[in-house]
Amino acid sequence: MSASPPGVPPDVPADVDLDRAWLGVAAGVWRRRPGTLERLAGRALRSPGLARALLTTPSLLLPWLLASVVVLGAGAAATMTAGQPMVALLAPGLSGIAISYAYGPGVDPAWELSRSMAVSDQMVLLTRALAVFALNAVLGVAAAVISSLATPSGVAAAITFGWLLPMTAVCALSLAAATVARSAVAGAAAGLACWAIMVLSGLVAGGRVAFVFTQGALIVPYLIVAAAGIAIATYASRTPRGMAR
Amino acid sequence: MNIDVADLTRKFGRHQAVAGVSLEAGPGVFGLLGPNGAGKTSLLRMLATVIPPSSGELRLLDRDPGSHESRREIRRRLGYLPQNLGYYPGFTVAEFVEYFALLKDMPPGRVPRAVATAIERVDLGGRARAKLRTLSGGMLRRAGIAQAIVNEPSLLLLDEPTAGLDPEQRVQFRALLRSLGEQATVMVSTHLVEDVGAACTDVAVMDAGRIVFRGTPASLVAEGTSSDTGDAPLERGYTAVLAQSRQLAKTRS
Repeated sequence: MSASPPGVPPDVPADVDLDRAWLGVAAGVWRRRPGTLERLAGRALRSPGLARALLTTPSLLLPWLLASVVVLGAGAAATMTAGQPMVALLAPGLSGIAISYAYGPGVDPAWELSRSMAVSDQMVLLTRALAVFALNAVLGVAAAVISSLATPSGVAAAITFGWLLPMTAVCALSLAAATVARSAVAGAAAGLACWAIMVLSGLVAGGRVAFVFTQGALIVPYLIVAAAGIAIATYASRTPRGMAR
Repeated sequence: MNIDVADLTRKFGRHQAVAGVSLEAGPGVFGLLGPNGAGKTSLLRMLATVIPPSSGELRLLDRDPGSHESRREIRRRLGYLPQNLGYYPGFTVAEFVEYFALLKDMPPGRVPRAVATAIERVDLGGRARAKLRTLSGGMLRRAGIAQAIVNEPSLLLLDEPTAGLDPEQRVQFRALLRSLGEQATVMVSTHLVEDVGAACTDVAVMDAGRIVFRGTPASLVAEGTSSDTGDAPLERGYTAVLAQSRQLAKTRS
């Protein structure tokens, strides 16, 4: 061992690299321990980066989840007491808003940076949209099942599953509007406006609010809207393709 | 060549932001000078694969970013600091840098040490666990630089990196640039000519979407005369090149 170089305490041998030691300490101290959910998502998605991006989604964060549970819980209570299909009316709009807040420059402040990352922003979009949709579907089904306990009939079961298709269409429309307009607010407004128009039109045409999720004839239009919304969102969020030669 | 660009253009509606840029660059620090609206940011965004070119040829790190797998590989070895750095206010500096290290596909086992190294290189070690919303503008800029260098990129693109830094931090940053440029291609867009003089091995001047000068800082100085506008020789060279380019454009039209 040789004498300590200038600037290094005299009791530290010259062949001890303090910078290296400090970086090792700092790495350990600053290291973030991922939660159980993030670790599981990282394994399922085979990408810790994608799992981390997924869990920074505003519509998956705890306040959003609690708000969704409260709204759908109130909807289930109203359905049980008043007999009105509130869960079926609320769930598509609620999901549309959540999807709008899942992705985009209006929501993600680091969107410009994420466009230059190896884990592509389109993959992040897909994962976030799927996660939000699945979560809202689970919450909606749970609320619908609870509310149908008061009136156990075939109609209640049909309504439980009847709103899933409108929800898919509203979500796809919200996502397309949010992606094209680059604004989550615009996406949420488009989804809610479309759903409100549908419900009011159904009320006028069929004389009851449940018309929009009990009419078999609307299945094809809903599917077309869902497919068009997904296609538009995919096109609007596409990553750079081949360069002109 | 880490950057190999031929006749690159980019239009936004009817406005042509980049109008036929051809450029090659290997390791070193490359300064990109030009007035506001010259097309510097649009060029950097294309090189960062954030936006596609309208036409032209683009190869980065000897790969074509047009194919998915090549683009992913380029992005693993790319560092980018945008002009307007977006950030998550509730993240700490370490979390912010770690987030982008993971999105750059770095092996998770290497991430903690890489994050610590990047934070120390920008001298933010004392604030590593501070929330981003509590940082000053200069500190946020340094956090942005830390995320750009966390993967030890082969191609580093920095758009106005010294905006908000105080004079002492700018001097430190220039030393960091020179160190990074020994291995990587570092392209720095700026309108602070003194940064170019102090840190760059190569310089290009852009105006109206075109590169109107390419050379060393010394050759840019040689373009100026005592009658040109500017307080320093490099500033006089820069304004002389711009004046010549605009005179030539006027004559052509």
